[in-house]
Amino acid sequence: MTTAAELNNKGYAHPEALVTTDWVAAHLNDPTIRLIESNEDILLYEQGHIPGAIQIDWVGDLNDRVRRDYLDRQHFAELMQRYGINNDTMLVFYGDKNNWWATYAFWVFQLFGHVNARVMDGGRAKWIAEGRPLSKDKPVFTASQYQAPERNDTKIRAFRDEVMGHLQAKRPLVDVRSPKEFSGEMLHMEAYPQEGALRGGHIPGARNVPWAQAVREDGTFKSADELRAIYENREGLNADQDVITYCRIGERSSHSWFVLTYLLGYTHVRNYDGSWTEWGNLVNAPIEK
Amino acid sequence: MFDRQAFIDNILDHYENPRHRGKLEDATVAIKGGNPGCGDIITAYLKLDPADHDRVLDVSFEGEGCTISQAAASILSEQIIGLPLAEVTALDHEAFIEDLGREVVVNRLRCATLALNTVKAAQRKLNDMRAGKVDPVSSTDDDAPLTF
Repeated sequence: MTTAAELNNKGYAHPEALVTTDWVAAHLNDPTIRLIESNEDILLYEQGHIPGAIQIDWVGDLNDRVRRDYLDRQHFAELMQRYGINNDTMLVFYGDKNNWWATYAFWVFQLFGHVNARVMDGGRAKWIAEGRPLSKDKPVFTASQYQAPERNDTKIRAFRDEVMGHLQAKRPLVDVRSPKEFSGEMLHMEAYPQEGALRGGHIPGARNVPWAQAVREDGTFKSADELRAIYENREGLNADQDVITYCRIGERSSHSWFVLTYLLGYTHVRNYDGSWTEWGNLVNAPIEK
Repeated sequence: MFDRQAFIDNILDHYENPRHRGKLEDATVAIKGGNPGCGDIITAYLKLDPADHDRVLDVSFEGEGCTISQAAASILSEQIIGLPLAEVTALDHEAFIEDLGREVVVNRLRCATLALNTVKAAQRKLNDMRAGKVDPVSSTDDDAPLTF
């Protein structure tokens, strides 16, 4: 069990970006906090969630229904208002698969500047493994007056032209997919159907750091020292660099974006959500195998 | 007509208590399908009666993945036993989505229709087997999953 003290001892640049399962258990009835579950498997929430948690779905709630883009200011505001979230509400994200989708939702929320946000270390699996309570009740909230700013895509989101400039300038790119996707042997993770891009490989010059290397077996994040051994000692990155992360559609790389930004304190990390499903389909885009 | 919660309860029941789950050792045809969105994999085993329009005598599913994809396979298994394969191939996606509960599965339609698409592909594999184009074995261990 990770306590708050242990979390502080893990050496993170921004330990306040994480909360422990203990902390969440002690704040279940705190009206200034909203727990948000985000999963790949949309019906896990229906099978039981942390009491009081809402579910926000990356497809149904966070994607634009027509364009390949995220929701706009108006729809984000409506989403927040529906769940009674105020601009100063502390949001705590958690979910399945080592918080893979929780960090994706967290990243989208940061596009709208909701900085009072945390991730529950260890995610849904850790909460359940510790035998903590689950509920099937769906909380109902009085609508809020949330005011959303326009989405800011400049600071933490990268687009393909920026990625092109990035590689030409030989700035660091981190490909967080599996080694076989990186090498071009596969177009998706092993055992997953191979689809989504017409070409395999990686963006020239990218380093391959599979996203899940950042977590321990219990789903919690590795310590800052352990993370630095991977990203800095092995891969040669440093906190002052301008870094772009990518994967297949930008979800796994949002996890690595979170690690670099909040746990290691990198100041300029962007997530390229177009990722391989865009780059591997772009005509004449440079590819390395 | 189910309401939303009843559709959810039905899906969860099939997920937690799957019907026709496992490998059918004497299957006539086995076929593997996958959903790249979230890594769902389904292998469908069909035992057919070639003397009676390839009628489905038995069916089973194996696989792993999200709740909807695995529950949908279980729900489908109850619908296709007794049907000629041509009728299975002609099953309507929209009707099946309605059976699952459109409101519940609308954001995971590929998961919801994975099992259906997989059994729909059985006719083609069966034709290829009978034409000697593919090895007439039911093992799919080395097959790459079809995507839809």
